[in-house]
Amino acid sequence: MVTHSAETAQVLFGLDAAWFAGTLFVLTYLLIMIERINRAIVALLAAGLMILGGVLTQEAAIRGIDFNTIGLLTGMMMIIAITKESGVFQYLAIWSAKKVRGDPWGVLVMLVLVTAVLSALLDNVTTVLLIAPVTLLITEELKVSAYPYLFAEIFASNIGGTATLIGDPPNIMIGSAVGLSFNDFLINLGPVVALILPVTLIPIYFIWGRGLKTTDENRQRVMDIPEAEAITDKRLLWQSLLVLALVVTGFVLAHEIDKQPATIAMSGAALLLLLHNLPHHITEQSHKVHKTCGEVEWITIFFFIGLFIVVYGLESTGVLEVLAHEVLDLTGGDPAVTAISIIWVSAIASAIVDNIPFVATMIPLIENMAPTLGGADQLIPLWWSLALGSCLGGNGSLIGASANLIVAGFAERAGQPIRFMPFMLMAFPLMLLSIVIASGYVYLRYL
Amino acid sequence: MTARLVMDPEPPVLRPTDLIRTAADVIMSGRYRRLPVVGADGRYLGMFGVNCLLGMVLPKALLMQEGENLAHIPRQTLSDLHRRFQQFEDQPITVCTLEEATIVHPDTPLIQTLFTLYKSRTNLPVVDPASGRLEGLISYWDVGAAILAAEV
Repeated sequence: MVTHSAETAQVLFGLDAAWFAGTLFVLTYLLIMIERINRAIVALLAAGLMILGGVLTQEAAIRGIDFNTIGLLTGMMMIIAITKESGVFQYLAIWSAKKVRGDPWGVLVMLVLVTAVLSALLDNVTTVLLIAPVTLLITEELKVSAYPYLFAEIFASNIGGTATLIGDPPNIMIGSAVGLSFNDFLINLGPVVALILPVTLIPIYFIWGRGLKTTDENRQRVMDIPEAEAITDKRLLWQSLLVLALVVTGFVLAHEIDKQPATIAMSGAALLLLLHNLPHHITEQSHKVHKTCGEVEWITIFFFIGLFIVVYGLESTGVLEVLAHEVLDLTGGDPAVTAISIIWVSAIASAIVDNIPFVATMIPLIENMAPTLGGADQLIPLWWSLALGSCLGGNGSLIGASANLIVAGFAERAGQPIRFMPFMLMAFPLMLLSIVIASGYVYLRYL
Repeated sequence: MTARLVMDPEPPVLRPTDLIRTAADVIMSGRYRRLPVVGADGRYLGMFGVNCLLGMVLPKALLMQEGENLAHIPRQTLSDLHRRFQQFEDQPITVCTLEEATIVHPDTPLIQTLFTLYKSRTNLPVVDPASGRLEGLISYWDVGAAILAAEV
């Protein structure tokens, strides 16, 4: 196979560039799946080999990194790291539970709504880290099992995250690569998410919801929880809400102001850091900035960097173009069949493997379908299919998304463990239900 | 001059099958912070501490990551905590993760042993490196008594 990149150097030992990159890519995937070695180490090592092996030059590798994705992720992580210190998210969860006067099913619905909305604005892991402890606090007062609540919150976090550009890493990657805006995601994926979320609650109600009973005394205990006390720093609360509002407004107006999401997120992070640190002495500032930077998930960031290089290396050898043609041969080049296939394959794959490397590979693969399908505009349904499949697919198993494992860890420590198989027996059919709805939505709206 | 010199060779121990209730009685009557857990064959398995007991009676939410911000919210009484303790008291102590304590060997030099005690700030199990058996326990009080009893 002939390499497509003009910048690729001679591959080590005269090996075929496509074979070298392809083998390296498969090995990277396998090692990420096996989880024997930290995924950031695997991706960075593979990226290094892609350059050392001669598939890419260093300059080409750096061009392969999507710094818009990296900047957006890092900026949002910093904003959330500071904002969460104010206690606003816990306040929101307790407030919502009190709005339904401690009714167990009502509390579940409200916590699901809060989780979904927050997941659309924050990353899913942060959302469940903040909501799960409040859930345990409330279910303990209600003296009901936390299991249905935590189960439903897993679903809500993955479904809610599907709705926006910043809700889930696959959307950030797709939006950045294709130039789809915050509004594009909200307008195109928001409606189907608003449909999937309540539909998912129906089976949950029949399986657990009907049995959730408590006494008036326990409900009163929930009503006695002083939600205002969850706010630990009012000044920080207003500062954070101001910056979050500015950032979301920036995302909404990104097209008009001609600014990329990474610029908006990083500027917001810088502004919040300034507001948060300004009243403090320089020594204290260093301590606080260090703490905020420490909360950025650097493992994820470096995983992305390595992965972008590996996928770019593979793409530069033309392997993904060949694969794209193979996929189109399988679907007969029919846009509808291709879109629906992408939803289903993405969903099944994302339930089993990490959806980040999957989406990183699918993006250039789909881009290579443009000439056959009639141009970049014809790919739009495929991007929504990829976003829906890869985000919703995370609900299919306990390992389908990082947030799932975080909640499972909480449940374990709370003495109500969420086991792999029982979860999957319930979750996989529910995930399939959401994919059926998503398929119908894509077909009716775009095809 | 080794760890053997300052250790209590017959410290109170817990068995992995002991119930939480038993462990609580022993710990509270002796005012221990933590005690070694030893298998039927005398092998050292870890330490069981009063911190685990306290953790059991606190609302679980507080012990989770990001849960500590909620610590000022629950309005629970001592009766609530006692009720929560009753849910656990008939379970074996192994429901608690045994603490991984710093250990010393019987032949660890004396000063190294005392420095380890100083650093770890709690009693030290003395474990035979070959057999893994618990040989004794070193506490501040044993060490203090030994030092003050030494001829000057």
